[in-house]
Amino acid sequence: MNRSLAGASVQIDLKSPTLKEAEIELLSSKLQETYDLTVRGVEVADEPAAPPIAAAPTTHVISQTTDPRPSRDNEPSRIVPHTIRSGQTEEFPQGSLIIYGDVNSGGEVRAGGDIVVLGTLRGSAYAGMNGRLSAVIIAMDFAPLQLQIGNYVNRSSVSQAPRGYPEIARIGAENVIIVEKFVKF
Amino acid sequence: MGRVIVVTSGKGGVGKTTSTANLGTALALLDKTVAVVDADVGLRNLDIVMGLESRIVYTSMDVIEKQCELSKALVRDRRVDGLMLLAASQKNNKDDIQPEQMKAICDKLRTTHDFVLIDSPAGIERGFSNASAGADEAIVVTTPDVSAIRDADRIIGLLQNARIEPINLVINRFSPQLVGNGSMMDQDDVLDILNIELIGVVPEDSGVINSTNRGIPLVYEDGSPGAQAYMRIARRLTGQRIPIHNFEQKGLLNNIVNWFTRKR
Ligand SMILES: Nc1ncnc2c1ncn2[C@@H]1O[C@H](COP(=O)(O)OP(=O)(O)OP(=O)(O)O)[C@@H](O)[C@H]1O
Ligand SMILES: [Mg+2]
Repeated sequence: MNRSLAGASVQIDLKSPTLKEAEIELLSSKLQETYDLTVRGVEVADEPAAPPIAAAPTTHVISQTTDPRPSRDNEPSRIVPHTIRSGQTEEFPQGSLIIYGDVNSGGEVRAGGDIVVLGTLRGSAYAGMNGRLSAVIIAMDFAPLQLQIGNYVNRSSVSQAPRGYPEIARIGAENVIIVEKFVKF
Repeated sequence: MGRVIVVTSGKGGVGKTTSTANLGTALALLDKTVAVVDADVGLRNLDIVMGLESRIVYTSMDVIEKQCELSKALVRDRRVDGLMLLAASQKNNKDDIQPEQMKAICDKLRTTHDFVLIDSPAGIERGFSNASAGADEAIVVTTPDVSAIRDADRIIGLLQNARIEPINLVINRFSPQLVGNGSMMDQDDVLDILNIELIGVVPEDSGVINSTNRGIPLVYEDGSPGAQAYMRIARRLTGQRIPIHNFEQKGLLNNIVNWFTRKR
């Protein structure tokens, strides 16, 4: 303990509100008698800490924005008027991507916002590439090799034959990517 | 002015050389003047498949190095009028030729031939760029399996970037039996993914290997399903409108036969 801090008053910043009144009391008195620190107040973060990562995380770290519904009103979108073939990549970090065609196996689309494929998605799609967990991936036919939303990845389990109706992938309650029939926004 | 068509695939061994030899010969049999060009420098075999191996004196490398005139390097096929082969050098490799040099050869050949067919090597590197440099059109050959289709898809993207069109698709080694029992993709599955014009389906034909070994392209001895398929593709290339032969009809029949004969 740095001696020069003796007699100072401190603010305790708790990340989770799991400490009971009595425990805080105990902590304060321990700090007082051991370090001569006066506890001025206890702040409890109202937001719970980052959720545990349920889906396999990517190796790179993305700062998460947990805002459930960021406005897309002022966000640009890009329309790609053709199929993304094997070996081709379309990336648009500034907003959402709309593909007028397929994304074939070996092709890849990445967007800061949502990804909408007006054809068959057979390749890889990465929505919310800047960490937006509310981003979604929609395709008329859904048979992707790999999906990623924010830092959540879904590999083989979604790789399936197209079902013949549009589907949407989003992060569900358990922090895993779920794919379900797309009805409407 | 003749048309320069590159025959390519991405994946190796799917039937580019077989297709180039048979389509070249078939077009000549339809009274067109044709030059087939082997662009597989260092791994040439179009000359073998066409049975002209023993008559090669000069190659495209000699033309590029100005060792001989283009007309002198062309080997004439004596079995049919109007068919010529320009062989690739076996002792050089793909980096010894520049795309512009291939283009210059193609531009010269198109002034004297109705069709110039270029047999591309597998891959997406230099050999492919050389083969496609002088081409207006492409024929993409694929077999109906996922890895060949993915490579074909890759090549189609590159051809589109190079503004080569039309890009026509040949599905080779198609087996109605295998489609019938569900172990091979059917024509529609392939077209659904690649989404380009289908110019023909060539069935798996045991005659191909024999014809390759003897150096006599299948189409000289018509009658086999493979020969007929290549003749139909050649006719379509000349602009005739012939419906795509539906091998799957037979597949359906097979399905029914399989259904009655399978063990229960
Ligand atoms: N329709 C067919 N039926 C049966 N066998 C075939 C058929 N087409 C091609 N083959 C066989 O497949 C093999 C490869 O064919 P080919 O050499 O034409 O392929 P390629 O694409 O030119 O190969 P590479 O990439 O090595 O140049 C040969 O042994 C050939 O006989
Ligand atoms: Mg070959």
